[in-house]
Amino acid sequence: MAAPLTAREEVRQDTAHGGLYLRRLRRAQLGVSLLALVVFAGLLGALPLVILLVERLRDIEVLGVPATVGLVVVPPYVLLLALGWLYERRANGLDAAFRELLDDDEP
Amino acid sequence: MTFAIIAVSAVTAAAVGIGAWGVRVARTTSDLFVASRAVSPWWNAAAISGEYLSAASFLGIAGLEMKYGASALWLPIGFAGGYLALLLFVAAPLRRYGSYTIADFVEARLADPRLRVLAACVVLLIGGFYLVPQLKGAGLTLGEVTGAPYWVGVVVVAAIVALNVALGGMRGITYVQAFQYWVKVFAIALPAFVLVVHLGGLPGRAALLGRELPRAGPHELVVDVDHARTVIFPEAARYEAGGRPRRARGGERVRVPAGRLVLPAGAAVPVAEGIEAQRGEDWARPVADGGRASPLFVYSLLLATFLGTMGLPHILVRFYTNPDGPAARRTTVRVLGLLGLFYLFPGLYGALGRVLVPDLYVTGQTDLVVLRLPEAAWPGLGGELLAAVVAAGAFAAFMSTASGLLVSLAGTTSFDLWGALRRHGSTRPGPGRLAPFRIAAVLSMALPAGLALLTRELDISVLVSWAFALAASTFCPMLLLGIWWTRLTARATAVGMVAGALTATGAIVAALVAGSEANDTVLAQPAVFSVPIAFATMIVISLAGRPVRGVEVHMRALHAPEGLGLERPVSTRV
Repeated sequence: MAAPLTAREEVRQDTAHGGLYLRRLRRAQLGVSLLALVVFAGLLGALPLVILLVERLRDIEVLGVPATVGLVVVPPYVLLLALGWLYERRANGLDAAFRELLDDDEP
Repeated sequence: MTFAIIAVSAVTAAAVGIGAWGVRVARTTSDLFVASRAVSPWWNAAAISGEYLSAASFLGIAGLEMKYGASALWLPIGFAGGYLALLLFVAAPLRRYGSYTIADFVEARLADPRLRVLAACVVLLIGGFYLVPQLKGAGLTLGEVTGAPYWVGVVVVAAIVALNVALGGMRGITYVQAFQYWVKVFAIALPAFVLVVHLGGLPGRAALLGRELPRAGPHELVVDVDHARTVIFPEAARYEAGGRPRRARGGERVRVPAGRLVLPAGAAVPVAEGIEAQRGEDWARPVADGGRASPLFVYSLLLATFLGTMGLPHILVRFYTNPDGPAARRTTVRVLGLLGLFYLFPGLYGALGRVLVPDLYVTGQTDLVVLRLPEAAWPGLGGELLAAVVAAGAFAAFMSTASGLLVSLAGTTSFDLWGALRRHGSTRPGPGRLAPFRIAAVLSMALPAGLALLTRELDISVLVSWAFALAASTFCPMLLLGIWWTRLTARATAVGMVAGALTATGAIVAALVAGSEANDTVLAQPAVFSVPIAFATMIVISLAGRPVRGVEVHMRALHAPEGLGLERPVSTRV
């Protein structure tokens, strides 16, 4: 009787189990990406409506610039960078967890 | 203007010099691509940003802002946001898969050589339209710097870029593009800081943010009108045109002859056809109830740029120079930072220009605002030096983007199309080594150059938004579904890409035919409906068909982390 395959061999040989491991990783990665997308779309997508509907913003000035303009010039880029950085850490973390899963039952 | 000529020449010479040095380095390792894979994420990120920041970013954003108002400031947010979409869904998997171009990916993933030809055609369409505004920027800038006519600048720069690419220089060399990024940031940031300090803050606040229209300054305003054109006077005014004093009623449309147009001090500036004279408070509103600032228009523009960036032909090629998936992610995050840094500045030029160079409203050439502003804000040596810095940055902007685009276009024509016809070998030849590549480089430049000569009056950014809408409606659904969805089929991809391309193009052509009225409607910015149509077509037809055989192997190549001994390159065409 053949020895049971290691997780690494399961993935390499495209067995049912190997496919399952990979599918789980892919779903987890997609989940993180979609979460980041939803946060981004929610925050940036709300910005035009907030600027349009919140009348009071027009009267507030920051350094001589109306808050409506200021909100468009700086915060979106900070949001992009912060989300990108958080996503990178999370995605690399998922990859590392997958690597550990396969390395665990190495002889 | 001698300073400007010196600065432009210096930047060009430095780029060519670094390129020559880069080619030597690459040759010693005998393989250009392997050599560039040793590049660190910081260099890579600067190179990607350098290639991406085009005439539309350097000149177009400020021009659009001056013309239409603060609603133009959504454009750079979308330009930068495109890299978040790339980071979240494309960068790491595509790098792991090992595809060099979009055409490589689509053929390998869906196992259909016909898709390569279709993708190549779309690449030519998008790349061609994206090249036109770069050349227009070149014509404008060289005209400003040397006083040469528009067509001279277009032809000269088209020739330089085509020659350079055909001879193998500037072939996407990482160091050249990274250098150009820092040139551009320096060239847009330094004058912005210096001018704001020199002016002691934002001038003309009433025209900028209050109830005022842009007006001639304390002296009379003299505008050189290049050819007879129709302008609209927002207020009654006396003026002088064709050497005779005249009067206009408020709201009157007047045909002014070519020559000097003189407005007395303090007169509200007339605007060219297609521009609306806005008071400061309306101009400074990023979102409004209708027109180009309506929420629907803004969302459509954000969607097109957010999803379109990944489909631009010269973008994905750069990601190939990352050694692996995590490096691709790291590079992209840095690109987000570098682009954000750059995009803090163009808006300032549009705002200052509204007050300091209002004569651009008369001729409608607001794309010139970045180039004209320094000398208007600071007459004398200081302004002249700053103008030289800005001109050099603009030159770097369209040289780098045009070179990157032309390499992609020529590679696509000579390899994907010509190669598919000849059925020659399956290895990608190094660019520049083959006669077809050189011929393709020259041909791929000739057509956009011709278009640039014909479309002088069109805004730089109209063509850019067309390119983005097209990319978002074709390659974006193909990439996202191809990378993350196992059931995508070749037929569905082909039909979906054609459907998306036809919808986007049809809407934009309809908007152009309908004239300036439709320019402010969602027809001119069709991503909000063309992207869903493309996605829906691909998904519905895929569900009716059978998935590609061996799709699990493709998914493993796309998503399995490195360092497990699992990698099996699916794409061999590298």
